[in-house]
Amino acid sequence: MHKHSGINCFLPPHILKNIATKGTESQKTLAIDTLKISAQMRGQRQALADFSAATFRVAVGGKDRIVYDAKNGSGLPGTIARREGEPATTDVTVNEAYDGSGTTYDLFNDVYKRNSIDGSGMRIDSTVHYRTGYDNAFWNGEQMVYGDGDENLPVDERLFNRFTIALDIVGHELTHGVTQFEAKLSYFQQPGALNESMSDVFGSLVKQYQLAQTATEADWIIGAGLLTENVNGVGIRSMKAPGTAYDDPVLGKDPQPAHMKDYVDTISDNGGVHINSGIPNRAFYVTAVELGGFAWEKAGQIWYVTLKDRLTANSKFQDCANLTYQVAGELFGAGGIEQQAVQKGWAEVGLTVGGGGPPPPEPGGCLAALLRLLGAAPSRS
Amino acid sequence: MKVERITFERTGGFAGMHNVVNINPDDLPEEQAQALLKLLDELDFDKLPEQAMNNPSLPDQFTYRITVETKDGEHSIVTGDASAPEEMQELIQMLNRIARKQAQKKK
Repeated sequence: MHKHSGINCFLPPHILKNIATKGTESQKTLAIDTLKISAQMRGQRQALADFSAATFRVAVGGKDRIVYDAKNGSGLPGTIARREGEPATTDVTVNEAYDGSGTTYDLFNDVYKRNSIDGSGMRIDSTVHYRTGYDNAFWNGEQMVYGDGDENLPVDERLFNRFTIALDIVGHELTHGVTQFEAKLSYFQQPGALNESMSDVFGSLVKQYQLAQTATEADWIIGAGLLTENVNGVGIRSMKAPGTAYDDPVLGKDPQPAHMKDYVDTISDNGGVHINSGIPNRAFYVTAVELGGFAWEKAGQIWYVTLKDRLTANSKFQDCANLTYQVAGELFGAGGIEQQAVQKGWAEVGLTVGGGGPPPPEPGGCLAALLRLLGAAPSRS
Repeated sequence: MKVERITFERTGGFAGMHNVVNINPDDLPEEQAQALLKLLDELDFDKLPEQAMNNPSLPDQFTYRITVETKDGEHSIVTGDASAPEEMQELIQMLNRIARKQAQKKK
């Protein structure tokens, strides 16, 4: 299985159009993808229409999901409960996993032109009803796994509902898969908190995309509906106001910091990956609100390109700040409102970016992409 | 060796919540206490390596620290959830059940 990486710089459109019409199949595919992304970034709907899939059929599989049922055991993946294209079942949990992974696929595919978790149409597998009384969901490196919460306790003692209940949890888990194929952020300390933050960012964007909410309309809560009415809390995390999602006698208080001055040094939770993610989460929120409109468009695009092409396994918060700032300049113009919004986002959490202009584009990267197109473009089969 | 106290700490998971409970086997129902001590015995707990985890970097899995105290000292291990060795799964699940019950009582 190879990874389709697209073309990460801006070749002149006329060259891409030539390749799109005259190149080999794989060259065409790469060129069309790039044209679509470029067109979308510039808001040229007409250009998108010109290069629709009807004109240049992209020969890769589309959305492909399987939801399995662990039937309260721990064996993975379990028994098939619903396959791609099959009608809804009577099990709401199965349907939530199916629909949620479908919406997540749609956001990545429609907006960021990414075909599934690996970018190459990988089948999306989910297992529901994992164990009993299992208050968690996770990505195991190959698939998503969801527990049912406290289904085995009397109603008045339950703290957690089923983990498929919130669409952003599904998006969060699936994004861990995307990160695994792209930046490969290690799951420890700051790189781990960035890994977590990317999952919250795209998890929240999946929900906003489905609800067609603008940045100001969105609640920016991760896991809304997951906590039962026995708990004093609105969800698990707040990207808008980290540290305020819950405050409860049994669960304790949301431990997330919203600023670098409150960064939590800890060895537990893999060095606080679910704690300090509040800092980059809020930076994204501020950027998105500053830009207004739909957060998945500009702010999401900047974060997606940063995750796909810039962050590496050991990147820290300052790296992410610098890179999103650079990417904003490259995508939308140096010194533009997008770059200013990113700068403000990070400033709000205590990280400074900018100063000089953005660095020049990398000729090596462009040259490599051109060579890949003209000579050694990998097949997409 | 008589087990005086077990400390069970859970961190991480999607929710990233931190739970710690202290368990005195004498306070548990007789049957549960015996089952728990039998599991520790079968695992040869005090000889387990401190890092008993196959893969510490699985996103959103729970991380556990289990400390068993006897009058001669204590032994502590760190393990994961999905990545814990199969033979430890039963112990982890039993401790989770006990912890959940104790947390509920706090309310």
